[in-house]
Amino acid sequence: MSEYIYDEKERFDGEKVKVLGPTYEEGKPDGSYDWKARLDTRELTVNYLRSALRYWYSKDWFGSERRKKDA
Amino acid sequence: MAEEKKRSIDKATEELLEKAEKEQISTAFFRADEIRPCPIGVEESCCKVCSMGPCRLPRSKKGEEKRRVGVCGATIETVVARNFARKIAAGTAAHSDHAREVVETFLKAALGQAQGFEIKDEVKLLEVALDFNIEIEGKEIKDIAVELGRKALDEFGKQHGELVYIGKAPLKRQELWRRLGVVPRGVDREVVEVMHRTHMGVDQDYTHIIEQATRCALADGWGGSMISTDLQDIMFGTPVPVVGKINLGVLKEDEVNVVVHGHEPFLPELLAAASRDPEIKKLAEKAGAKGINLAGMCCSANEVLMRHGIPCAGNFLQQELALVTGAVELMTVDVQCQMQGLQDVAACFHTKLVTTSDRAKIEGAVHMEFHPDSGLDMAKKILKMAIENYPNRRGSVYIPDQARDIVVGFSHETINYLLGGLFRASYRPLNDNIINGRIRGVAGVVGCNNVRTVHDSAHIAMIKELIKNDVLVLTTGCAAMACGKEGLLTPEAAREFAGDGLAEVCEAVGIPPVLHMGACVDNSRLLIAATAMVKEGGLGDDLSDLPVVGAAPEWMSEKALAIGQYFVASGVFTVFGTTWPTVGSEKVTRHLFEEFEEIYKGMWAYEEDPVKAAHLMISQIDKKRKALGLEKARERVLFDMAMRRELA
Repeated sequence: MSEYIYDEKERFDGEKVKVLGPTYEEGKPDGSYDWKARLDTRELTVNYLRSALRYWYSKDWFGSERRKKDA
Repeated sequence: MAEEKKRSIDKATEELLEKAEKEQISTAFFRADEIRPCPIGVEESCCKVCSMGPCRLPRSKKGEEKRRVGVCGATIETVVARNFARKIAAGTAAHSDHAREVVETFLKAALGQAQGFEIKDEVKLLEVALDFNIEIEGKEIKDIAVELGRKALDEFGKQHGELVYIGKAPLKRQELWRRLGVVPRGVDREVVEVMHRTHMGVDQDYTHIIEQATRCALADGWGGSMISTDLQDIMFGTPVPVVGKINLGVLKEDEVNVVVHGHEPFLPELLAAASRDPEIKKLAEKAGAKGINLAGMCCSANEVLMRHGIPCAGNFLQQELALVTGAVELMTVDVQCQMQGLQDVAACFHTKLVTTSDRAKIEGAVHMEFHPDSGLDMAKKILKMAIENYPNRRGSVYIPDQARDIVVGFSHETINYLLGGLFRASYRPLNDNIINGRIRGVAGVVGCNNVRTVHDSAHIAMIKELIKNDVLVLTTGCAAMACGKEGLLTPEAAREFAGDGLAEVCEAVGIPPVLHMGACVDNSRLLIAATAMVKEGGLGDDLSDLPVVGAAPEWMSEKALAIGQYFVASGVFTVFGTTWPTVGSEKVTRHLFEEFEEIYKGMWAYEEDPVKAAHLMISQIDKKRKALGLEKARERVLFDMAMRRELA
C-alpha cells in the first residue's frame, strides 16, 4: 500500500478538516473473485442458503409477504 | 448529394461497413436497404395458416365501415393474435430447446459422461436442488445432481400440474396466475397448445389466444430460461464480477482468431479450456502466430465473457463484420441469431464457418456436430483447424482499434452478496436506496439489434436517459454489449453518466450504473432479482408494486416477444421500440397496452423514440413510487438525543 492520501474538507461547523482519501490499490484485477469458495463445507453452505438465499421460502415468509393467514 | 445514412453509433462497425462497401461484400446493413418490409406483413395482418389464403387484411381506411375478414371468416383480431401467439411460441421453443440441451448435458456431466464438464458450483446445485424439493441431507453431490437433472428434464414434458419454478415467484403473483388459469404445466405442452390453438379453425377469440400465449411465455421465463440459467451456472460456475474487453478491436492481427457465436455455452467453454492447452499453443506458434485468441459474438460471448472474461467481439449486427476484418480463421455457430449471410462473407476470405449443433446447418459451412461425450476432443480439433487456416489469410486485414474495458457478471447471487456480504447477503441496501429516493427505480433493458434502427443507438439513448434520472439498469444480451461498447459497464460510468443519487450508491457498492446480467436466456435472472426485491420487503408484495420496468428498444427476434410477454405477465410495464407486431388490430393492441394492466398489473407499450420511451418508463416508475408512498426523496436522518426527546 502506498502512502495514505489525505483530502481537506469542510466540517458542518465550517472548520477545515483533513480526511483520509481512497485507500484502494490502483490497477485492474487480474481474475474474478469467487466469493462462494469461502463456503467450503456442506454445513456452511446450507446455513448460507437458508439465511441468504432461501429465506424467502421460510414458513413465516418474509418482508412484505409476511401474512397472518396462509395464502 | 444525398445525405450519407448513419448505420451505427459504433465506430468499429462504421469502419468495417466502409471496408465491406469498398470490397463489395454483402452485409445485413446493405441487404436491408434493398428489401423494404412488407407493409401488410409488418402489421401482422396476413393470415397464412391454411392454403385458402394467404389472406391479407390491411387496416380499413379512415371512415370506411367495411369489416375485413379472411376466407374462413377469421377477423383481423384473430389473425393478429394468432401471429403474435405463434411468435411467442417460437421464442419460448428456442429458449426451452436450448434449456433441454443444457439439462441433457447436465445429466451426462453428473453421470461423468460429458468430457470436460463437471459440477463447478456446488452451492448453486444445493440451492436449485432445494427449489426442486430434493432432499440434500447426507447425499453425495453426484447423486443430488443426477436427481436434479432428471427432475428438471421432467419439466419439459409434464402434462399436468405446475412448473416447479412458479413457486419462486412472489406469493401474490402466483395466486393471480392461478386465478387467471395461466400457470404453465410443462414447457413443451404450452408451446404445442399455442400451435394447436392457432391452427386453422381452432381458437377464434383473440383474448383467449393471448391468454394461452401468456401461459406459454411464462413457461419460458419461469421455466425453460430459468432452468437453463441455473443449470448452466451449476456446470460452468455462477458469474461473479470479472473484467473483460469488448468490440471488434479484441481480434488480433498476429494471433489465430477463433470466434464463437450463438447461444449455447458448451463448446465455447471447452474451447476456452482447450485454448490453454500447451500442445495447442505450440501448434499456433509453429504456424507463425503468437497464440490463440478466442473471442465471443452474441450471447455465446456473454456466457464465456461472464464466466471467464473471454473478450467479446460484438453483438448481433457485428457478426458479419467480424469476418470482414479478414482476420478470423474460424467461426463456430450453434443456434439462434446467426445470419445465413455469414457463409457468403466467409467465402470472401479464408474464414471457415463451422456449424456445431444438430439443430442447425448452413449451406456451404463445415458441419461438425458437438456431442458432450467427446466435447473436449472436438474443441481441440476445431482449434487445430483454425491454426492450419492461419497461413491462408488473404486480402486485406483490417481490425478497428476499438475495444473497451468492461465489468460483467452480475448474477442475482452476486448482487445479493455485493449488497450485504456473505454474513448478511440481502437486497436490503437496494430497497433502502429506492425507498430513500437515491435510486428512483430499476429498469431491465434487454434485447437484440435491429438493422431498421441505427445500430446500438436506441439502447444507448434510452439507457443514458434512465441512469441520468437515477434509474439503475439491468441488462442482458445484445443490449448489454451495446452498453459495454459505450463505456457504461464500468464503475467509473456512474460518476460520468448517472444522476447524483444513483452515482452515490454505485460508488458506495463499487458497481457500474448498468449491470450486465448475462445472455438473453438469463433474463430469468432479472425475474429473480425483482422477486428478491419483493421478498426483501418495503416495496409492496408483488412484482407489479415495484418501481421496476422493462424495455427492448432494438428487438428483432421472436425470443424478445416471449421475454416481453413474460415480463408483462409478471406485472412489469414493458416498452418495445423499432416496430410493434399487433398494429394491424386496434383491439388486440388495446388489449395488450391497456386491458392487460387490469388483468396482470403489467402492460405493453410501444415507442420508437428511445428517449421518449425512457420517459414513459420513468413516469411508470414514478406512478409505482407514488402508490408506495415514496414520491418524495427521503433523507436518512440520524436522530440525536434532543431530537428523540422532542419525539416523546
